Amino acid sequence: MKRVFKFLPFVLVLMFLLAACAVPAPAPAAPAGGEEAAAPAEGAPAEEMPAKVIRIGAAVSDTGKYAREGGDTRHGYLLWLDWVNEEYGGIKVGDERYKVELIMYDDEGDPDTTAKLVEKLITEDKVDFLLGPYSSGLTKSASAIAEKYDMIMVEGNGASESLFERGFKNLFGVLTPAGNYTQSALEAVSKQGAKSVVIAYEDTAFPTSVAEGAQRWAQEYGMEILAVETYPKDVADVSSIMTKFKDLNPDVFVGGGHFNDALLFVRAAKELDFSPKAMIITVGPSNPKFVQEVGADANYIIGPTQWEASMSYEDPYFGTAKDYYDRYLAKWGEPPTYQAAESTATALVLQLAIEQAGSLETAAVREALKNMDITTFYGPIKFDETGKNVGKPMGSIQIQDGEIVVVAPESAAVADLIYPMPPWSER
Amino acid sequence: MRTRRLETIFSSRNTFIGWIILLILLALYPQVTELSGIRLLQLTQIFIFITLASNWNLIGGMTGYVDFGHAVFFGVGAFVMGILVTQVQNYIVFAPGLSFWQALPIAGLAAMLFALLIGLPTLRLKGPYFSIAMLGTFVAMREIVRVLKDFTGGGRGLDLPPVLNRERDYYFMLVWMGLVLIAIWWIHRSEFGQSLMAIREDEVGAEMRGINTTKHKIIAFMLAAFSTGIIGGFWAFQNTYIDPDVVFIEQRTVEMVMASMLGGLGTVWGPPLGALILYVLQDVVWSRVPEGHLVVLGVLLIIIVLFVPEGILGTFKNPSSTSLGRLLRGYREEQPRPETVATE
Repeated sequence: MKRVFKFLPFVLVLMFLLAACAVPAPAPAAPAGGEEAAAPAEGAPAEEMPAKVIRIGAAVSDTGKYAREGGDTRHGYLLWLDWVNEEYGGIKVGDERYKVELIMYDDEGDPDTTAKLVEKLITEDKVDFLLGPYSSGLTKSASAIAEKYDMIMVEGNGASESLFERGFKNLFGVLTPAGNYTQSALEAVSKQGAKSVVIAYEDTAFPTSVAEGAQRWAQEYGMEILAVETYPKDVADVSSIMTKFKDLNPDVFVGGGHFNDALLFVRAAKELDFSPKAMIITVGPSNPKFVQEVGADANYIIGPTQWEASMSYEDPYFGTAKDYYDRYLAKWGEPPTYQAAESTATALVLQLAIEQAGSLETAAVREALKNMDITTFYGPIKFDETGKNVGKPMGSIQIQDGEIVVVAPESAAVADLIYPMPPWSER
Repeated sequence: MRTRRLETIFSSRNTFIGWIILLILLALYPQVTELSGIRLLQLTQIFIFITLASNWNLIGGMTGYVDFGHAVFFGVGAFVMGILVTQVQNYIVFAPGLSFWQALPIAGLAAMLFALLIGLPTLRLKGPYFSIAMLGTFVAMREIVRVLKDFTGGGRGLDLPPVLNRERDYYFMLVWMGLVLIAIWWIHRSEFGQSLMAIREDEVGAEMRGINTTKHKIIAFMLAAFSTGIIGGFWAFQNTYIDPDVVFIEQRTVEMVMASMLGGLGTVWGPPLGALILYVLQDVVWSRVPEGHLVVLGVLLIIIVLFVPEGILGTFKNPSSTSLGRLLRGYREEQPRPETVATE
């Protein structure tokens, strides 16, 4: 009996080796990545199926460090795919309808894998257009390859502004870039009379961009910047920063990096009785979990959001933001995050550009994207010459009585900003 | 009989000739058939993996200093490259940013110099202490790069000029891999290489026999770091952007160690073979089980360490050295070891 057990590991090793050998030789020629093509609308009856097909490709994380947000991105793309093939009847190009075939692979959150999969999509699967991956870093890898092959890539999940500073002519981002995250909130508080700002941010790529933007906008709206502090990733205590800020007695506090930091800031502010007239926390407040964690102390906190279901945007395709919310909830059984909404919007924008161009030619679609000036359920879309969406302001929410409500910009607001927030001692 | 035949096939000279032929075929490959970008990129990634595993093998396999932070040299090379190409002009007036070819040797030399600085204290440590010190170096460098914002861009990283040329990359890595493999083959046969193996087997004994162990260890360490630094610089260009989190990842070291161990520690052709097998496994088998592929990686590592510690080539060379080899050769009865005797 013991012999059998001793055998087991060898058998396992052999299995691995055999699996390796079973690969079509030569080894390097083996197919890359997760063969997880989302087939074109499964149930489409054969007789109705138009002969013409547009192939769209994307490498999006399904596993790895971006598994969660990547999953939302995938859901967003797939929701659009179902809609465009089943309900809308395919993309209109001239007089013809094209079905869409969406090929998605799992990039595992790794830039090497992303590069490999995007190369594969372009050179082997011969897709016509590309959609973006999740995260700024992976979008940087992917967009450089798209540019090399002169392929259009529309993305909705890379917010870093440096993406659009590389002179690419084929990259278009539908989301509001990181530098503008605090713009509408700072505008709103400055209108209420805020005069001074302090800023604290985590020292990683995305919060840095957000904080630099915050400084720029604060100056733009005539506010004085009293202090700028940074703190490391995964910080456990922010009370030293908050003590310093308390002595400066600013009107507005801007801070944040990750969800956990948001909790730390609120708790430290309360403990130290640091009561600025507004607290803008860049990541966290728009997430319903934030209210659950902090409770009543979350009230009056302001935060940016790419998209909320309560926003007043709408389009003729998905209807209002609320309609989109309902549709998403019905399909996936969970409410859409803004990552999901912006991914659907990304695909929709590509579709509308193809229809506007009336052609699948890269140059024609690029022109159509450059001239685009529309409003979708996700917000206005208008690209500047670098490919950033300058049409859409970042929304700002405030937590009022435990509810997340949009307070800025005016075009999307559903409630008035409460300013100043009452001091901790008077709550 | 069978072993003898295997031994002849895998003799150092035959394998060397085989590899040379393979290298020539690979050099001609893109010329003969039209290769798409994905094929070129995949082959380039395999070359990178093979070269990294061979570099690691020089210090980890031949010298016996298990370096759990070798990816630090990759990171140093990548960031030196990034700084030279995009940042230098901001600090030195009239100095234009360097080109890829100008910056590449400097990236390698910087990694080598860094290896000298780090190696002087850490190579005095033995066994797990050295491994831990290198792991610490690796983690510390990631944080240092984050802090030196003015040069490295901090957490935001650096964007390199997005000029991709898959064919150039392919040939560059092919040539570099060829050079490294030939160098390692030569080192393995040379007095220098034999001294390294003497250090691995018995450092005090080697010292007694007049080998300057400190010098040998540091040179091996620096050579490995140089090559890894070159690849880091190359990778920075190929990926078009770097930040501390994509450059300094533990997985890169783990993969180097795994490839070397799977193929055969301290052998010349083992790490390349291991790297090739691992790459194909990652590509094909693991993509079929996306949720569990790290589990597979871990289980594989445990199996290697427990049952095939000498790796594939080690097993071919000396079947009695591993459980798998003994099993295949039916050695169990012929060469009883204490624990097997007890069970029979």
